[in-house]
Formats: sequence, structure tokens, C-alpha cells
Amino acid sequence: MPSVILNHTILKGYLNEKDSVSIDGTFVGDIKAEEIIIKDLGNINGNLNASANIEVNGEVIGDLSSDKIHLTSFAKVKGKLSHKNLAVDEGAQLEITAQTRKRISNLNKE
Amino acid sequence: MFFNSKKNETSVDGFSHLGEGASFEGEIHCKGEIEIAGKVKGNISAKCLRILETGKVTGQVNAEKVEILGCMIGNTDCVSVHVGEKGVVRGDLKFETNLSVAEGADILGHVQKVKKDKNKKVDTEKVRYLEHNQKAS
Repeated sequence: MPSVILNHTILKGYLNEKDSVSIDGTFVGDIKAEEIIIKDLGNINGNLNASANIEVNGEVIGDLSSDKIHLTSFAKVKGKLSHKNLAVDEGAQLEITAQTRKRISNLNKE
Repeated sequence: MFFNSKKNETSVDGFSHLGEGASFEGEIHCKGEIEIAGKVKGNISAKCLRILETGKVTGQVNAEKVEILGCMIGNTDCVSVHVGEKGVVRGDLKFETNLSVAEGADILGHVQKVKKDKNKKVDTEKVRYLEHNQKAS
């Protein structure tokens, strides 16, 4: 079952999840998972590393790395992105440097 | 924070959940309820904590209500505690009002009912705070 962190929850540290993570609370530290979803009230201060997908509706300060990154219209992101496929909705507030990678994720999968 | 955002305070229903495949190292502060099915290393403070059968917690726990159905290594400080039949506790259990243990639970450590000393705790914190201020000045 995927992890769900609700609002009013503060986590400080390192999270490693084999499944998907959905965060509506505050997280200070790095997250590694298959899929990471930051909800509206989610607030992350740290790096996100997902093997499949990252979706951001909330605030993130830190680097994002995933095959697919989706920043929705409420997203506030500051940091570096590394991705194969990036989608940004109208209204997202960004302070980012983005880099599309091509063969790196194949190396990771092996 | 470099963002100036307005946060609408919404009440939360239900449990935060740390999944079976999750391993977390660090602190957890939860004003609501949290369920742990994965591995946690570190201290947890919560209003209501439930360690599921697949869950394993190593560290100090401070919560109002604690349910241990999995593995708990470390000291637990709470108001009421329930240990399930597959619960494993290695460490001290301190509770204020209720303790219930199901048949088959495995507990190694002190189990103690403590008096409600919340006022005392606040006082000692205040004293420490004052002492700290004195040292600082």
C-alpha cells in the first residue's frame, strides 16, 4: 500500500519507499520512491528522486529527478530538475534549472 | 522560506500512513493520527499512533494513544496503550490511564503506570528555558 502523509504531520529525515508516496504535510529531507505526489498543502525541503513520476501541487525547495515530472498550476518549485518528460501547467511559480536526460535512466534501470 | 503563501488550515480526517515498502529514518511529529506499516528509525510524537503488524519502530514514542500490533523497540510514553496479539515490545511502557494487552503479546521491559504530571513537565521546561536564557545572557 502506498504511503500517505496528511496535513499537520511533520517528517524530518530520509524516506525510502518502494511504492508511491503522497504528501500533504511538511517534509524536511530526501525522498526516494517509485512515484511522488506532493499535494496542495505539501511542503518539501529536500531532494525528490522518483523512478517513474513526480507530481507537484504544493511547494518544493530542492532537486527533482524522475522520468516524468508534472508541475501543476499551484506548484511552487525552487531547484534543479532532471527529467525525460516535463509538463508545466499555467500558473506554476518556478525558480528552476531543468535538464532533459536521454540515456541516464536506462543506466539506472539496469 | 522564500515563498510567502497563505495556508488554509483544514482539519484532517483519517490516518497518515507509512506503507509496507517504506523505510524512514528521522523524526515524526504528527498532530493527528499516524499508521505505520513500514520501518521507522527515530523518535515519533503523535496524537494517535498505530504500529501495524508489518510495522517496526525503533526509537522513542510519545503519544496520547498507542496501538502496537507490530514491533516496537524503544520506550513508549503515552496516555493509553494497547498491545495486540502479535505485538512485540522491547523497552519500557509508561502509560497514564489505560493498558490493554492481548493474549500472545510479547513484552520485555518495564510496564509502569505513571501519574499525570503534565503541569510538572511544563514547569521543568520553563525552568530549563529560564536557565538557558540566563546562561545565554
